[in-house]
Amino acid sequence: MTADPTATSIPEDAMRRLAEMRPGQATSLFTSDLSVNEFLLVREAGFRPLGLVLGSSIYHVGFQLGRWRSNQELTVLSQAMYHARELAMTRMEAEADQLGADGIVGVRLEIEFKEFGSDLAEFIAIGTAVVAEQPQTPDGQSWRNNQGQPFTSDLSGQDFWTLIQAGYAPLGMVMGSCVYHIAHQRFWQAMGNIGQNVELPQFTEALYDARELAMSRMQAEAERLVAEGIVGVQLRSFGHRWGGHTTEFFAIGTAVRPLRADHVIAKPQLVLPLSDS
Amino acid sequence: MAQWDGRGLPPVAAERMKRFARTGLRTSLLTVPSALGIRSVGFEPVGEVMGCIVEHIGWSGFGGCGYFGGFGGLGMPGMGSGTVRPSGSASFVGFEPYVEALYRGYDTALERMTAEAAAMDADGVVGVRLPVSHLGADNREFLALGTAVRARSRHRPRRVFTTELAGQDVAKLMMAGWVPSALVYGISVLVRHDDWQTQWQSSWGAGNTEVSGYTELVTHVRADARHRFDQQARSAGAEGAIVSSISLTIGQIEPSENHRDHVAESTVFGTALVRFHRGPTAPTRSLTILPLR
Repeated sequence: MTADPTATSIPEDAMRRLAEMRPGQATSLFTSDLSVNEFLLVREAGFRPLGLVLGSSIYHVGFQLGRWRSNQELTVLSQAMYHARELAMTRMEAEADQLGADGIVGVRLEIEFKEFGSDLAEFIAIGTAVVAEQPQTPDGQSWRNNQGQPFTSDLSGQDFWTLIQAGYAPLGMVMGSCVYHIAHQRFWQAMGNIGQNVELPQFTEALYDARELAMSRMQAEAERLVAEGIVGVQLRSFGHRWGGHTTEFFAIGTAVRPLRADHVIAKPQLVLPLSDS
Repeated sequence: MAQWDGRGLPPVAAERMKRFARTGLRTSLLTVPSALGIRSVGFEPVGEVMGCIVEHIGWSGFGGCGYFGGFGGLGMPGMGSGTVRPSGSASFVGFEPYVEALYRGYDTALERMTAEAAAMDADGVVGVRLPVSHLGADNREFLALGTAVRARSRHRPRRVFTTELAGQDVAKLMMAGWVPSALVYGISVLVRHDDWQTQWQSSWGAGNTEVSGYTELVTHVRADARHRFDQQARSAGAEGAIVSSISLTIGQIEPSENHRDHVAESTVFGTALVRFHRGPTAPTRSLTILPLR
């Protein structure tokens, strides 16, 4: 960050402002879940934080047994993971909508299995609702997406700033989930592989299948938002609590659309940090 | 040594303040980047400050699970009044005395810390940490630690400002025209009766379903903690607040044989901000850099 030379008056102005404060005076207050860096960058990108928004759902995840020897998606579990996340996200968006937000930045989507019940998990979405200083995007459209909802983005404030600088607007977080049961090896097959270096085709195929399903579901969501692409995609797998052969594959990213034809960002300054970290 | 009456600073702390005034020896808990950051916006670290209180929390104010018409809301003697009123068919009861005890713990620790800072003639305390430790079954220690700083300025704030933010963060905020005014927090504890629907929804055979009772409980407790956080920031005259942590824990209690209810506790901590730069755009802009490793 660079500061102008009048910075010497900073402590003076700040202390004067603190001295002027009266308890109980009416002000407009915003809250935010952002770090200081993120807060300042989001403001610099032309957005004002309105408030911390949050949606939560405690969900009982059903039960489905994979057949011992088959590769298959466990649709009941896939649906549970999907539905519960959707509930949390929609509730968060509803809070942002009430604040009159244009979007939600820095969204964290977390799952926590609870100790007090089997198969109970809390799905929670937290972010900061923001409103743009300019009510319309540079190409004369609304900041909200084509569903009329505030945009959502799981990008950090730094990434969000860079995205806007480069002439892209976020449309929404898109995700795809697939819970997959990977077949166990047949006994003789396992015996035959002892001491050999071989590919296990059915395992490879299972992981391929599951990831492709998760990614294609994410892409389908982006197509619904008429996005140009998806940035910041993370492809994760969670064991959750279903034993070694049942895994959730989860793809999540932010769908974006272009704001202008050229996407130039200023050439960065090269720095050589003198610290170890 | 004479018994301390609990008002003002304990004798040993007052003694340290006197010695500080005599020698003027400067100490600080800041890291090097943090100390450099805070100096770059015109503050001098003065000394480390501390406040603590050990509290016995023996009575949580639990007056039943709220199923039978919400005892809590009726203001019966000895019963806590709920932090959230019963809504709809489900009833909530708060643990008001317990929540008050937590507030008293944090408030007192912070007050004693700022009293030390004021005794050092400081304008603010940065990098405040608030660890809580359990001493035995019902005793807790609330500790507030930070570094007192003094501004190179003719103006003095009306109250010593406090913030959890490190020196670098305070520096970045001030360069952009914002100054931290106070550390603020909101705490809420609620219990909800497990009714038949909740029990059914969380049972093995229920399949995929939202457990609406628990969702309601966590939504309410978080909303209440956030509301209290907002209120505290607002009454401090703040124009913004940066949340540094938001937490939730759920536990079970067994108020009667074979029946369990769930208690949720939520806390929100953060720093309230005020703006002193009134221009349409911030006086700073970011510099994009690419670290060479």
